[in-house]
Amino acid sequence: MSQLQPQNQLQQTSEPPLNVQELQFWLDKAAAWGQADSPDTRKDTCLHLSRLKDYLQLLLTHMNNMSSTTERMKTLPLLGQFLGRLCWNPYVTADATGRRLLLQCLWGLYSEHPGNALERKANQWIRKVLCQLATEEDDDAAALALMKRMGVSPKEYHLKVLKMMVALLQENIGKSCRSLVDLNQRCSCDNIRATSEACVPLVTCPEAALLIGALLQQPMTCVRAALSQDFLDALSSAYSSQCISLEEQAVVSLWYHNLSSLEDAVLSLLECVLTNTGSTPQELKQQLAQSLLPKACAQHCSIFLVANDIFRSFLKQTEGNESVKYLIQTFSSCFLRELARLQHKTSGSWKALFPQSPQSLLVPLLTRPSEMPREAWKHHLNWLSGSLQTLTEEEEEGDGDGSRSTRLEGHHKVFEAWFLLIQCAHWVQVAVWLLVTSDPEDCGPLLWLLTFYHHPTNRGHHRASQLVHAKEAWDHLHSLYSVSSCPLPVDRLQSLVTLLSPQPERPSLSPLFILNLLVNFAVFFQQSLSGSAEILQTVVNRSGLVNEAACVLRSLELRLNEDSCLSSDTNRVHLRINALQNTLTHMHAASDPAGNQAHAHINAQNQTAVSSSSTPPGSLQNDK
Amino acid sequence: MEAVLKNLSSTAELLAVASQSGAVAQWDKQTLSRAFHWARYCEHISSRFHNNSAIKGIMEKQLQFTNQSLRAAFPGYTDISFSDLSCCQHLLLVGLLKNPELPISIMKILFDTTSPVNNQQSDYQDVTGFCSHIIQCKSARKVLSPLTDLSAVGADVEVQGAMLMERLAALLSQESEACRTEHFLDSVLQGGEGAAGHFCLVIAAALLTTKISAAQTASQGFLLDWLQKKHSVLQLMCSALPTTLLIDLAKGHLQFRAAYCDVLKKWASDMEYSMSEGEWVQPSTNRTVSFKRLTEHFLALFESCPSLREDVENDLNALNISDGDFDVKGLSVWGDLLSALNK
Repeated sequence: MSQLQPQNQLQQTSEPPLNVQELQFWLDKAAAWGQADSPDTRKDTCLHLSRLKDYLQLLLTHMNNMSSTTERMKTLPLLGQFLGRLCWNPYVTADATGRRLLLQCLWGLYSEHPGNALERKANQWIRKVLCQLATEEDDDAAALALMKRMGVSPKEYHLKVLKMMVALLQENIGKSCRSLVDLNQRCSCDNIRATSEACVPLVTCPEAALLIGALLQQPMTCVRAALSQDFLDALSSAYSSQCISLEEQAVVSLWYHNLSSLEDAVLSLLECVLTNTGSTPQELKQQLAQSLLPKACAQHCSIFLVANDIFRSFLKQTEGNESVKYLIQTFSSCFLRELARLQHKTSGSWKALFPQSPQSLLVPLLTRPSEMPREAWKHHLNWLSGSLQTLTEEEEEGDGDGSRSTRLEGHHKVFEAWFLLIQCAHWVQVAVWLLVTSDPEDCGPLLWLLTFYHHPTNRGHHRASQLVHAKEAWDHLHSLYSVSSCPLPVDRLQSLVTLLSPQPERPSLSPLFILNLLVNFAVFFQQSLSGSAEILQTVVNRSGLVNEAACVLRSLELRLNEDSCLSSDTNRVHLRINALQNTLTHMHAASDPAGNQAHAHINAQNQTAVSSSSTPPGSLQNDK
Repeated sequence: MEAVLKNLSSTAELLAVASQSGAVAQWDKQTLSRAFHWARYCEHISSRFHNNSAIKGIMEKQLQFTNQSLRAAFPGYTDISFSDLSCCQHLLLVGLLKNPELPISIMKILFDTTSPVNNQQSDYQDVTGFCSHIIQCKSARKVLSPLTDLSAVGADVEVQGAMLMERLAALLSQESEACRTEHFLDSVLQGGEGAAGHFCLVIAAALLTTKISAAQTASQGFLLDWLQKKHSVLQLMCSALPTTLLIDLAKGHLQFRAAYCDVLKKWASDMEYSMSEGEWVQPSTNRTVSFKRLTEHFLALFESCPSLREDVENDLNALNISDGDFDVKGLSVWGDLLSALNK
């Protein structure tokens, strides 16, 4: 023991010290497992496999810190015995990590230039053990002799037998019982748990993949057909470290059975999307589809609830960051599409999927615009706007008087309504579109809705002035686009540009709101293409929002591709969008230094959800 | 053809060098890959020509010739024959791992655990991790075997049965004379210690394969015909295999059922009444089954094939009558058998 002390002092403080008693513990375990092959020892092995691997890693680290085999054997006299026993434990050798660590420990005991008899013996022993492991055929001698006559090599034979075993076990799983009645009766489902346990070391074994898939996807009608937790954990960590690939349905089942693997998947999707902000809307959609999460959410309500909860927390933490909002919107749209494909009955299950949202808003928001006649949209949106307005007014009244709990409840309701609105952003886009063709008297509810969407809280009671700005912006846009002659009215242009450039001193309206409106006007207003393009170009140029405008155009195009109900003449609209995009690209090529300054000013104020260093081109600060 | 023969010789030399020579100390990854590539080539040659007796003969001669010179060059050399070629990679591996001069770096390549497994039987297999994959496979088998041990015929025997069927089908499709296929089956029997007993189990598995094609039906038919002529094998099957298997075979194949009955009757007819034991016993030179066991066989057979009972009892009755039709125990094995069966 005293020999360990000076060594520990030389080691880095990050490594835990080596405890010889721990080696004794594991050696005793390994001996016990090797002695008897009963269901209990097998269970015990699977239970301890993960910790054993951690211990082997620790041993390896310590062995690497020592300089010779002699030193290693002196410090850890039981090491040879321990490794030797593990070599003959199939659970350790079947598992990819276990096998790797074990072999690395063995190499650690090998000396390139043995200096004494101990090291020479160790070398010989290692060669012998490895030769035996790879080529010894005692158990199968008769079989292999026969197979040789048939022209089948040992390696081929082992592989075929393994595949046959997997096939037999798969068949057994298919025959799960349906009886939930008599718990005392033995059913064939007991073997499902045992099989899943046996698969703990086999999660990275490619031949076992079909069996694992079958285990994950079996109907689970019987109480006894539960999968071992160790199995689910092993599978989850192998999948998240990308050591294995699973079939789609197997992944969905894994998430369904194992909460932590689902959370890992959602969090890694969020991290991936929010750090990789250069992707186009189309790329984001592909990324979401590839993650399999929308599909999984559509298949299991419980999966959706967990994912949604995580999104909700993120949204709250990042205070409504635009990238997060956009991700949530896109995710919801993918999810709702998957749901529709599965042909779930809609109205009944909405409550189960959105238990925290104000119930009266569920069906109105979740009904897609394409499911409603176009003439009804305006009325529908007016109703939505009014309902949301009522909700916020109730919250504000509650703020004044009433207990803390009613106040919190009020905030909660408003937040949930806003969260649902983000998820059903198709209506927000319809509102923007309708604004293009509205009369000034009809704008009110639509502008309120959009203002609420971008600024859900009324901190400092700024909503009133925000609404004023919104109306101003709309007025400017309307008059700019209605004018058929050029040159363009300078004052209108300048006012618009001012609105788009936020000043830190006064509370302002989200530039993205105004930009969205601007782009929609450019695309949908009945104006000549050149006229629209010129207006767009001028405004965007002066406010330095070229990239952002291009982004909005791309999103609009994508949405039109999916939901072609917005326009009856989709071809013309697409051509128009393409033309406008070209205008913007040409502008970007000849970049304007003044514009870039404004651009930099805006970007400097951005916060991203995950990394503070990168400035995403498409997101703008949400100034409340 | 000459090129192929030359390649065979070269590979035999390669195997000798791998296992016997210190030259392996100079091997690197490329040499290793090439060596295994040649071994795979020989395996391919073996599977291509093992049904072609003419070419097989030429190759065998070439190998014998090469063996001679290699024996002279390497004192510890073991001859290789054509039949060894199907396991050429294994031979190479064993030779290398047992060779104390093999550099540890080569061993590390073979036991590498990082590369993903490539299961395709292609010529471009990477030799990295060759042993690691073998260990994974064997270990996975051991991990899963407690779960699959419940059936009478294990996965390993099923695979062997399937391979037997494949081989028979290949032989039958090529050979016009059935005797070559028969010779093949005969040679398997003589495989060595315990080979016959093991082969019985494999034959049972082969005959019990349910999902079969037309070719496999022909193979099963051939196998049954061959069994009819091999009384010793039939007897071994009936005494060594578990009753459940025998019953399944009897249910699946009329031919086997009839043969099974015949074996049982033969056993009975060879029995003598032993005064000291108070029971019918087989002659002391060949005690494989007791009277009680014989009765159990018959009863199990009747239970699964009820239509058989009447015919067999009639036969036994006729035999009993020919023995004198006495009602006393110990005089006629047939009478005693009938009474035991009808208890």
